[in-house]
Amino acid sequence: MRNNCAKFWRNNDFKQKDATVNCKPMRLLLLLSAAIIAGGCSSLGVKPWQRDVLARDEMRLDANPLDAAIDDHLYFSKEASSGGRSFAGGGCGCN
Amino acid sequence: MLPRERQSTPATARLQLLAASCALLGSASSRAQEANAAPTESGVLQDWSVDSALAYYHEDGRVLAIEPIVNVSKVYPHGQLLNLNATFDSLSGSSPNGALTSRVAQTFASPSGKPAHAYTTAPGELPVDPHYSDTRIAFGGSWTTPFTRVDQVTVGAKLSDEHDFFSATVDASIAHDFNEKNTTLSFGVNDEFDSLSPIGGAPVPGSDYALADKTGGKTKDGVGALLGVTQVMTRTWLSEFNLSVDRFKGYLNDPYKITSIVDSAGNTTGYVYENRPDQRTRKSAYWENRVTWNSPISTALSLRYMSDDWGVRSDTAQLHLRWTMANRDRYIEPTIRWYRQTAADFYTPYLMGGDKPMTGYESSDSRLGPFHALTFGLKYAQKLAGVAGRSNSEFSVRAEFYKQTFDESAPTPGALQGLDLYPALEAVLVQVGWRF
Repeated sequence: MRNNCAKFWRNNDFKQKDATVNCKPMRLLLLLSAAIIAGGCSSLGVKPWQRDVLARDEMRLDANPLDAAIDDHLYFSKEASSGGRSFAGGGCGCN
Repeated sequence: MLPRERQSTPATARLQLLAASCALLGSASSRAQEANAAPTESGVLQDWSVDSALAYYHEDGRVLAIEPIVNVSKVYPHGQLLNLNATFDSLSGSSPNGALTSRVAQTFASPSGKPAHAYTTAPGELPVDPHYSDTRIAFGGSWTTPFTRVDQVTVGAKLSDEHDFFSATVDASIAHDFNEKNTTLSFGVNDEFDSLSPIGGAPVPGSDYALADKTGGKTKDGVGALLGVTQVMTRTWLSEFNLSVDRFKGYLNDPYKITSIVDSAGNTTGYVYENRPDQRTRKSAYWENRVTWNSPISTALSLRYMSDDWGVRSDTAQLHLRWTMANRDRYIEPTIRWYRQTAADFYTPYLMGGDKPMTGYESSDSRLGPFHALTFGLKYAQKLAGVAGRSNSEFSVRAEFYKQTFDESAPTPGALQGLDLYPALEAVLVQVGWRF
């Protein structure tokens, strides 16, 4: 019986060496997504002279890096999740 | 993801503009300076941007922490960026040891085994070690350099040291801009090495607490990768999407956490040290959107989904709303964050009798249990002119309230009914910041 690739991904079974894992639909989906993103991205965006609002402090992805660092430290020590916005891990022995 | 370090702060942007202006003025400027030498800013940090903060964190009835942090950065003439940071943590107070609340008083030995540090928890109270104390000092740095007009690489390192824990991390990432720099594709990897030297030694996982079966130091290490894309959607909308995975191996237990053994009536009969798997793989998807709605109002909404092979699934949503006022000299920023996680497969609030855990592993650490959390925050920032010899600087103050509510639905043995076995965690964070 062929395993489903999404299930394989969901279960995190990286050690599984099962040749029957069917990842073809997932690969097609990823390729299709990449094509849509690449095609979509080319029609998005602005010209260099239209970046006035984007240049504002609040539009930077790291607008408040120290706030983010302190919050990340708090959540890392109290929750089972970390990372996503940047690398996971905490560099502290609090979890 | 755009590497955080590559984007100029307002101060570095001002320096770049100043440098460009000087270049344009050229020799005329030089002659003018010879004729009328104007006083210039002086000091070791005059070419640097400085961002600093002092945070005070207090959990209701538990831990208190004070954390100063400073981050300095400098842009070099060819676009390279050097970033250095230092963090100091001081923690003290009480920390849950993982044991279950009981109808009778419970006495615990301290991790060090010192009789003077033994502690007794009153009936009906959550067992916490009242002697929890720690300090941490951490240093980090990164160097970003462009190697083509649209490509740049960043390398970084971080060291963190506590008296019972040491961590070293290195990372590297590459970013490529295309579509007139409206799209950035980035890929990064990191490697972390941790060394644990718990007070009193590292307990043998799953061993009887009464036997204090402990060994020397332990290690764990992890690798991670992050693939990100940042896209300018419109003139007022920026979007970022990241996929990341990391895998840790080694001693992943909290050496100070124990699990209660209870009988069918709910009476505690003993304790064992927690026993987590020695490997963990986490995967997450993160999506952030920054939008300016009109001149004074902008929002940053982020969503994250994370899963790991311990069975934890989590969802996170966070919204910052910034209201800029008074010719952009100050702003107010309310924040709300919602978080929910499922329990790890081996999480159990207690072990029943002499039963072995079904998964072979067990932990009663509430951080691996099922809960949801809410954070409410408010920040105020004010630009200041002429402070520290800078034409502009920013002072800020913010406060956050964090509440964690347990979603445990395990059956409660008779003697434990009516006790608050899963008390909510409430914490307050107050932070002042100054950047120039």
